[in-house]
Amino acid sequence: MSTINSKGKKGKVMNRIHGRSRCIWNKWSVLFVCVAILLGVFLAGSASQAADMLKVGLLEEPKSLNVWRASDRWSWKVLGMIYQPLYVRDPETLDLVPWLAAEAPELDADTLSYTVKLRPAKWSDGTAFTSEDVAFTARLINEFEIPRYRYKWQFVDKIETPDPQTVRFYLKEPKAIFVPRSLTIPIAQKKQWAPIVEQAKKTEKPLSTLLNHKMEKPIGCGPFVLEEWRSGAYLYLKKNEQFFGSGKEINGRALGPHIDGLLFKVFGTSDAAVLAMKKGSIDFFWWGVQSGYMDDLRQNRDIRLFTSERSALYYMGFNVRRPPFNDPHLRRAAAMLIDEDFILNRILQGYGIKMHSLVPPGNVYWYCPDVPRHGEGLDREGRIKKAYEILQKAGYTWEVPPVDESGDVVKGEGIRLPDGKSMEKFTILTPPADYDPHRAMCGMMMQEWFRMLGIPAYSKPTAFGSLLEQVKVKHDFEAFVLGYGRLSLDPDYLRTFFLSRNDKRRGWNMSGYHNPDFDRIADKSAETMVRAERRELIWEMQKILMRDVPYIPLYNPKLVEAVRAERFKGWVEMLGGVGNIWTFCELQPK
Amino acid sequence: MAEETFRTETKGMERYPGLTAFLEGWGIFRQSLLGKIGLVLLIMFALMALCSYIPPLIDPMYNPMTGVDPVITCSTGPSRAHWLGTDFMGRDILSQLLAGARVAFMVGVSAAFMSIVLGTAIGMTAGYMGRFMDTFLMRLADMIMVMPTLLVVLILAAVFGQLNIWTIVLIIALFRWPGVSRIIRGQTLSLKQRPFIEAAKVAGASHVRIIFRHIMPNVLPLAFLFMTFRVTSAIIIEAALAFLGFGDPGTVSWGMMLQWVWKTGHMFKAPYWLLPPGICISLITLSFYMLGRAMDEVLDPRLRKEDQTD
Amino acid sequence: MELRRYILKRLVQITIIFFVILTVLFLLFRLAPGDPVSRMVDPDMTPEDAEQLIHQLGLDKPLGIQYLVYLKNFFTGHFGISFHYGEPVVDVIWNRLPNTILLFTTSIILSALVGIFLGKIASWHKGEKTDSVMTIGALVTHTLFLPWLALILIWVFGYKLGWFPINGMISEEVWLDPDAGFIAKGLDIGYHMILPLTTLFLIHFGAYLLIMRSSMLETLKEDYILTARAKGLEEKDIRDRHAAPNAALPVVTSVGLSLAFSINGGALTETVFTWPGIGRELVFSVSQNDYPLAQASFLLIAIVVLISNLVVDVLYAYLDPRIRY
Repeated sequence: MSTINSKGKKGKVMNRIHGRSRCIWNKWSVLFVCVAILLGVFLAGSASQAADMLKVGLLEEPKSLNVWRASDRWSWKVLGMIYQPLYVRDPETLDLVPWLAAEAPELDADTLSYTVKLRPAKWSDGTAFTSEDVAFTARLINEFEIPRYRYKWQFVDKIETPDPQTVRFYLKEPKAIFVPRSLTIPIAQKKQWAPIVEQAKKTEKPLSTLLNHKMEKPIGCGPFVLEEWRSGAYLYLKKNEQFFGSGKEINGRALGPHIDGLLFKVFGTSDAAVLAMKKGSIDFFWWGVQSGYMDDLRQNRDIRLFTSERSALYYMGFNVRRPPFNDPHLRRAAAMLIDEDFILNRILQGYGIKMHSLVPPGNVYWYCPDVPRHGEGLDREGRIKKAYEILQKAGYTWEVPPVDESGDVVKGEGIRLPDGKSMEKFTILTPPADYDPHRAMCGMMMQEWFRMLGIPAYSKPTAFGSLLEQVKVKHDFEAFVLGYGRLSLDPDYLRTFFLSRNDKRRGWNMSGYHNPDFDRIADKSAETMVRAERRELIWEMQKILMRDVPYIPLYNPKLVEAVRAERFKGWVEMLGGVGNIWTFCELQPK
Repeated sequence: MAEETFRTETKGMERYPGLTAFLEGWGIFRQSLLGKIGLVLLIMFALMALCSYIPPLIDPMYNPMTGVDPVITCSTGPSRAHWLGTDFMGRDILSQLLAGARVAFMVGVSAAFMSIVLGTAIGMTAGYMGRFMDTFLMRLADMIMVMPTLLVVLILAAVFGQLNIWTIVLIIALFRWPGVSRIIRGQTLSLKQRPFIEAAKVAGASHVRIIFRHIMPNVLPLAFLFMTFRVTSAIIIEAALAFLGFGDPGTVSWGMMLQWVWKTGHMFKAPYWLLPPGICISLITLSFYMLGRAMDEVLDPRLRKEDQTD
Repeated sequence: MELRRYILKRLVQITIIFFVILTVLFLLFRLAPGDPVSRMVDPDMTPEDAEQLIHQLGLDKPLGIQYLVYLKNFFTGHFGISFHYGEPVVDVIWNRLPNTILLFTTSIILSALVGIFLGKIASWHKGEKTDSVMTIGALVTHTLFLPWLALILIWVFGYKLGWFPINGMISEEVWLDPDAGFIAKGLDIGYHMILPLTTLFLIHFGAYLLIMRSSMLETLKEDYILTARAKGLEEKDIRDRHAAPNAALPVVTSVGLSLAFSINGGALTETVFTWPGIGRELVFSVSQNDYPLAQASFLLIAIVVLISNLVVDVLYAYLDPRIRY
């Protein structure tokens, strides 16, 4: 502050008490308390609300309700109530079940075409949902090459609409991802989007015009429809009277929605949302509860906690383009060193499941249980001995070996690569502790475990942006810990993450893994449309990857979500949490 | 040769009025109550910083960044092994707090020192060279002075991604020199009129020599008194930056501790974790502030209008 | 006449400074190693998609052309499209600006008024216990670490006592209620503003109190006060009518000079209380690499700071005839 100075010699005369100033303090505090109480009383009185409105807490505000632009999870939590796909996943089997479609897609192997029959449905503005809308959506994606959707549709040659209830897609080549990925995209209404598309096409940059279009009132077929969005505060969705599932039974489940409205409240910080949860001003906090709040919420009898598995993968990745991790032996030794039990019990405090393969075990159909498991069941010492054995056989030498002559584990020092050079220091990049304490902690523990073996590892928490820059764009790193929080249930990512030709700037293959055998099997898996045959290939891929370990899967965190128990019933548990389309369709007031 | 040195030294006493002023000032300072409280607090923090080296020696679990308790895996309250409790992964809060004191001193003192050096150099140049140089440097100072430093550092953090602790220190220094340079400029302007500078000029001394040999010794004590103000702002900016999540993730600072307790959702549950870092930041700011005010009294009335934004 | 020349001179200087800031900001963001696209770990995003997005965002053009586009856009009021929201940056800022102004000006005015009032009292009781308590209290509150103070207020008043809301600025109960009128909505905002306002108030009023106190002490030594005393006027009159208005001048100017400090505090307060204002938006856009938004918010703040400094200088020159430039 400027020009603050006092020249009084204070603190010398302290014994005289002055009544006047006391009285002034009192005046102020009384005034303050009065105002506060008045406001409190007023607001408590004014709090009236619709009985059957479900209030959902969000951490961040949705960024956009333009379905083509929205990429953040918050936008999708809202858009998912509005825009619907042709097929959705069954909450128990995770198989695809018809949603806007009437039945399973029919494959004609000769013409390589799929025929989809549609369910009679209406858009929220009352117009009929037809095959034209489906064809329009697909064509829009291909025409504008919309990021995130394009690769799911670019192999579709042409689309026919023989009648309003039937769509036929002709594929250029066989593609396994067509049904699970392409047919699960949200369908947009032709009536609403056609004029926007026409406008966009006339501009210099059609795609960015389309993506930057501000969608005020999205029209969908979903159970809810947007009523009001007050920026920075809440989104209010009303029950969609036209919803195709209302009062019907789909997939053996009686659908509603039985609630009148849905209110998404934006909190910005977890503590505010948890506090609102405890007070009962929200019914559901649509976000994982952090460990710090858990005890507090568990003690509250009105609050119910759901623990669900996620389709997620948290892993340690290596740069296999350059030494030292271009040597698979060293990577295998690293996998041997990693104590998954420690990570699960200590770092995740039990809220996680072990990952043996890169596909989460919860994804039952595609998960291969029969992959090489590194160091399972061994204790710390056993792991070090095993890792030492692997490295010793591969030609690594030490000044002080980590296992001495009598077979005891000591701290190793001065490790040398098989070519005689001493191993240089390297860093393990992790996100910072505030972004994700678990990953930061894993990096730190990895550092310690490596050092026991004499490997000079340094864990370095790095801001998320620069971590990705180094790993994904520049390829300038040795090892990193990252994760995918929302992995698709279709295992096609196994292929794209490790395909040789995806090793490029911004490419998916961040490790730089090159294996022609793997490439061949992977490409074959992409073309195999028979599910069981594809599974054989996917399993084979998992085995190869777990043998060569370009990534070491670390853990799959469980998701703990909190709901108020007293107002609504009918929460549907599913992989990825209770916040799913089934819950919102089936939830009933108590 | 020896005689020569001797002569300059005896002359030095009258030539360096700054030094005598400094000694006189100390006399006044000792009488100030605020100054004394500030000094005691500061010594306490310095002791904390020194003590920060002890816990990791006792047991590796007391390492503030990487050490975790072998049994405790979540945040727990004070206990015999952890006097202030543990954080969300079982790290000792007391050793983090001590390490935080070290970081605060490191950040505060080095940023202040750098900004003083910069400010002195620029102030002397501006005052001594005058004319265009003066106008240019002082307008630059004006511009930098009004910028909210925290937001500037934030913008730089956006641009360069990760800032390590030394970069943060450097940036703070780069943005906090103008206040000093103004005062130094004023001093230089008055010194310029003194006879001994004229004498040096007549004797053919170069500008650089005059600045460094004749002006600098006279303004330095003043400049160092100024460090106290700068230390505060550097500590606060670093803490705020760390609190917002743009600090150096590799260091344990008080701002970082607050960020952890806030972001991991322990704020309602763990007062033993929430209170100490905040109290420390506030108290260290207060102690430097009190010192500053005591010095204000010392230097009054010359520095009364000194600016000390954030 | 002199005053007018002075203002003109300062205006020219400010324009130059502003251009410097504009250019530095541009260069900084273009030289940045990362880009918003590289932050996306979305497994659905192909490298081709990323390249295409970069092209659409216009980040692949030569630097000179980008700069010209940037200047042109700036002067035509187009700050670009926010990478994150996909909306014009101007819209986002316009949306947030009133919230910031509301919180910010209320807090400054409130703390300045209270600071002046209490400073006056403190100076009047110089050397007594009241004075010591006030001075020390002011020093202590002024040096509290702002984010921590905010967290403590949340903890005590939001969590333990549950009196006040701890985030946002409106509650949906009131705003969704069709019966709720203008007053109800206004009160709702006021209710949400209590904690952030208290935070800013506590941090700021101490500084104003101290300034007022010393300024008052100095004024009381002035000749005209002595004259007034000699005339036998009542002490209360002397203090309130004669001394206080003059002594408050340095407080007013210090509000302007300490604006940078207040803005830092405002951004921190908005972030902790998720008050939807410019400061929070700036912090958020920085963490999201949303360059256009960060740039525009910062420019806006720079303009405000520069102009208010000019205003303070001019005001000072105008009010205090002793100062001539």
